Amino acid sequence: MTETAAGTTAATAVSTDSPVLLQVEGLVKHFPIGGGLLRRQVGAVRAVEGVDLTVHRGETLGVVGESGCGKTTLGRTVMKLTEPTAGKIVFEDRDITNLSRRQMRPIRRELQIVFQDPYASLNPRMTVRDIVSEPLRIHGVYRGREGRLRVEELLRTVGLSPEHANRFPHEFSGGQRQRIGVARALALNPTMMVLDEPVSALDVSIQAQVVNLLSDLQKEFRLTYLFIAHDLSVVRHISDRVAVMYLGKIMEIGTKDQIYNGPTHPYTQALLSAVPIESPNHRGKRERIILTGDVPSPANPPSGCVFRTRCWKAQEICAEVVPPLIDHGHGHPSACHFAEIRRPLAIEPASAPSTL
Amino acid sequence: MPDPVLSIRDMTVEFGTEDGVVHAVTGVNYDLFPGEILGVIGESGAGKSVSVMTMLDLIPKPPGRVVSGEAIFKGRDLLTMSKSELRDVRGGDIAMIFQDPMTSLNPVLKVGSQIAEAVLAHNPKSSDDDGRKRAIELLQLVGVPNAEQRYDQYPHEFSGGMRQRGMIAMAIANSPSVLIADEPTTALDVTIQAQIVEVLKTAQRETHAATILITHDLGLIAELADRVVVMYAGRVVELSDVFTIFNSPRHPYTVGLMNSLARVDIDKEALLPIPGQPPSMISPPPGCAFHPRCLHSRGRARCRTEVPPLRPFGEGGDHVSACHFAEELAEAEVVGIGAEQPA
Repeated sequence: MTETAAGTTAATAVSTDSPVLLQVEGLVKHFPIGGGLLRRQVGAVRAVEGVDLTVHRGETLGVVGESGCGKTTLGRTVMKLTEPTAGKIVFEDRDITNLSRRQMRPIRRELQIVFQDPYASLNPRMTVRDIVSEPLRIHGVYRGREGRLRVEELLRTVGLSPEHANRFPHEFSGGQRQRIGVARALALNPTMMVLDEPVSALDVSIQAQVVNLLSDLQKEFRLTYLFIAHDLSVVRHISDRVAVMYLGKIMEIGTKDQIYNGPTHPYTQALLSAVPIESPNHRGKRERIILTGDVPSPANPPSGCVFRTRCWKAQEICAEVVPPLIDHGHGHPSACHFAEIRRPLAIEPASAPSTL
Repeated sequence: MPDPVLSIRDMTVEFGTEDGVVHAVTGVNYDLFPGEILGVIGESGAGKSVSVMTMLDLIPKPPGRVVSGEAIFKGRDLLTMSKSELRDVRGGDIAMIFQDPMTSLNPVLKVGSQIAEAVLAHNPKSSDDDGRKRAIELLQLVGVPNAEQRYDQYPHEFSGGMRQRGMIAMAIANSPSVLIADEPTTALDVTIQAQIVEVLKTAQRETHAATILITHDLGLIAELADRVVVMYAGRVVELSDVFTIFNSPRHPYTVGLMNSLARVDIDKEALLPIPGQPPSMISPPPGCAFHPRCLHSRGRARCRTEVPPLRPFGEGGDHVSACHFAEELAEAEVVGIGAEQPA
């Protein structure tokens, strides 16, 4: 089996000058909560609550956040796998917000998705050939011998061998299954892929294989990625820019360097501070921000700033005024009334141990 | 060094399945010393949990079968104890914290009364009132706010983080001398994980319990463990203090794990994955089970034919590695990502 090239830097430098591929404005997705005898709507889970973002051609935009922050719903809504409640989605200069399923079909060739769980996202009764060729058949571009060759080529592209085509998903390990999912997404030569936690179900050594595969494919096919994950380390490795979500909103968005080395939103700072670092040399040498409490329910989010209930900086204004996502003079936008740089990943130079 | 509180000796456990015999752990040896946190790392299926589950009689038998081994706790072999003797040890002197607090708490009983029950089960002379008082104390210790009110709530009224706090309270209820934490933070979000890590530190400080921390999260190990056991394909492949494991690993699998990690604090040029797939535990590769994926074996016959024994390294003999060619790693380019690199 071929392995993906190892010596690759994941984040290719894509400037935000490159053309916009996907633009999302004021995107809202509410899921109604039914209740009572008559199943009347008694409320809504505000999964995505007014998201604006832009994805440039060829870049990887990472979306991070904890469970329930709306990052998966964002990915699905952008793809129109679920209908947006409000807002606008423009893909390749075309407003796709209100397109019907049929009208979406040509768009789907360009915009594909890879799901988190390689166990649940592959039909266990289909062979790998059937799975990978399904998009080709749906779009009516699968033709006999040519189609078979295309499937074999796709399998080789993702590091599997053509002989795997006749096997069933259960015969593969988690990492190999995720490769099958990637081959399926690649089948129609898409421009953009939404990657929804593509490596979180995998062991660390296998994660690295799939991350490298995704980086290589991006270079080879000039793909644009919306990379959704809760793992801040993987997101750092693969992204050019990063958006941090909390309770359906973007708290902060910027280049990888801005988010990891100069975050200005307290939530971003707390997230980065909470990740345990894989080096015992860092013990006790890093600032720890321990948030109190849990994430509030997205069915009943706090007034004003949604993060204020767990924020050490919160003042009266935070309960009253929703902080806009704007640049406070740090070069990137942050939705905090009191945005300022704090570096939770930095180690105090005085106490840093010498390199071994 | 003081005497170990717990010694796992030559433990081999198999599971019979339709497809064949799964060799879950083979010849596992390690000691747990008083007051320490011993981290056990490895990927899914490496056998991280099996040795401790076996010693507490928590594996289903059949299909599980203990082929050989001893688990010496305070001078007695847990594997030969009667069910009732073991019941006294379990939840008393040896306590456990599991990954999923939702499935390990009884959903139809109040959280507080489950903790009180744990107290009373091992202190038959205490009154119900004592149990309640102690349970509330414990809930406060693990940072459950309004412990008095929370005592009377059911698990579903607790969030994931709060349930895990409840589990920890229950585990330390009887001041155990050994605490086993099996993926204690895996199901939790990162900000909640950070809270629970603090609670675990508190729990350990309060009880001085020697702790076995089983996890696939190398960050958690780097942060908490004193010594580390690295497992691969059911065997211990490397064991040393945490600094040695991260800064100068001497087994190709450990090196591979470190090199494949993305880090939150540094931009790595590249991730260097371990090639191939995890081995089948029904028919693990002959010789060193890691050899088909090993970047240092370079096709040498010895790796394919001879099972490498764990052997000590350097001074003191506290660092052991099961690689025929471990000395080469000492000189070769071990990418010591444990060492600081500019962010």
